[in-house]
Amino acid sequence: MSAELSLTGAENYFEDFEVGAVIEHYRGKTITNLENVLITNMVMNTAQGHFNEDRMSRSPWGKILSYGGVNFSMVLGLASQDCCENAIQELGLNNIRLTKSVHHGDTIYAYSEVLEKSDSDREDAGVVTFRHYGVNQNREMVAQIDRKVLLKRRPAARRLSSHAPRAR
Amino acid sequence: MIEDIIGKAKLWKKGIPYEGFSAGQKFNHHWGRTITESDNLLFSTLTLSFVPLYFNRAYARAHGHPDIVINPQLIFNVTLGLSVEDCSEGLGGPFLGVYDLVYHRHAYPGVTLTASSTTIETRHSASNPANGIVTWVTEGHDQDGNLLISFRRSNLGHRREGSAL
Repeated sequence: MSAELSLTGAENYFEDFEVGAVIEHYRGKTITNLENVLITNMVMNTAQGHFNEDRMSRSPWGKILSYGGVNFSMVLGLASQDCCENAIQELGLNNIRLTKSVHHGDTIYAYSEVLEKSDSDREDAGVVTFRHYGVNQNREMVAQIDRKVLLKRRPAARRLSSHAPRAR
Repeated sequence: MIEDIIGKAKLWKKGIPYEGFSAGQKFNHHWGRTITESDNLLFSTLTLSFVPLYFNRAYARAHGHPDIVINPQLIFNVTLGLSVEDCSEGLGGPFLGVYDLVYHRHAYPGVTLTASSTTIETRHSASNPANGIVTWVTEGHDQDGNLLISFRRSNLGHRREGSAL
C-alpha cells in the first residue's frame, strides 16, 4: 500500500476537513461541445435541447442548453481532487439544485463547504458531507449539490511525514 | 422531390406530455447500456474527477477492488439518460432537482446498466398554472439485478402538450 500513498495529496484526509470550512477549488472549466454534447450522447440522454443547435436557435434560449447532469458532474469533478481524492467510496448525493442554465462557452468554477463529519463502521475512514457550489464566469450560481463521501483517515505512514505545507 | 417526402412524412413523436403521467405508473426504460472502461476514463477525465480509484487499476486493486471503479456520477448520468424518453423528453421543461441519491454498490467496467422509474407525484405549479411538475423515483440495476443507484427527480413541464425539448 505504501507506493499508493504517494499518488494522492497528503492534506485532504478525513482529519483535514473542519465543519464550516469553505474551499475555493483552483481550476475552472469551460463547457463546450466536448463536455455537453459528448457526455449527453454518451449517457444516452435523448433530450435534443442539449444537442440540436437548429431547433434550439428557434427556442426562447436561442442556443443549446448544456445538460444539467453534465453541469453538476462538472462541479463535482472540479471539487474532486480536493474533497475526494482520498475517498474510499462516494456514498450518495442529495439536494441537487440546478439554478441557472449553462450554454457552450460558459465557464464553471466550484466551491465546497464542509457540512458534516461522522465516524463510520471502518476504523480507517470517516464520512464527510460536502455542499458543492457551481458558479459561472459572472459569479452566478448554476448548481448546488450535497455529496456524502467515505474518506480515508490519515494513514500512520503519513502522520509524521515532513511534506511541505501547501501554499495557500 | 424532397419537399414531397417531407410533406407526406408522419412524425413519430417521442416523449410523454404532462397529462400522460399519473402516480404509481411504472416504466422499464429502453436499451440498457454496458459501461466500458473507456467510457469511464473519458467521463472521469473530462469532468476532472481526479480520484485514482476511477482511472488507476493498480491503485484500485490495492484498495480491494477487482478493477478500476466506475465513477458513480457516470452511473447516475447513464441511469438518468436512459429514463429521459419516458420521463422528461415530452414535458418540455427543465430538470428541477435530484434528491436522496444513494450509490448502493461499486460497479466495474463491463457492467450492464438498466433503468426503471415509478411516477410518484404530478402537480400543478403554484407559481405558474401553465406548468406542471412530475416527480419519479428512478433506479439503476446491473445485469444480475443488483441495485446500483436510486434517486428521486422532478421536472417541470408545460400542461397540455407543450413543445418537447
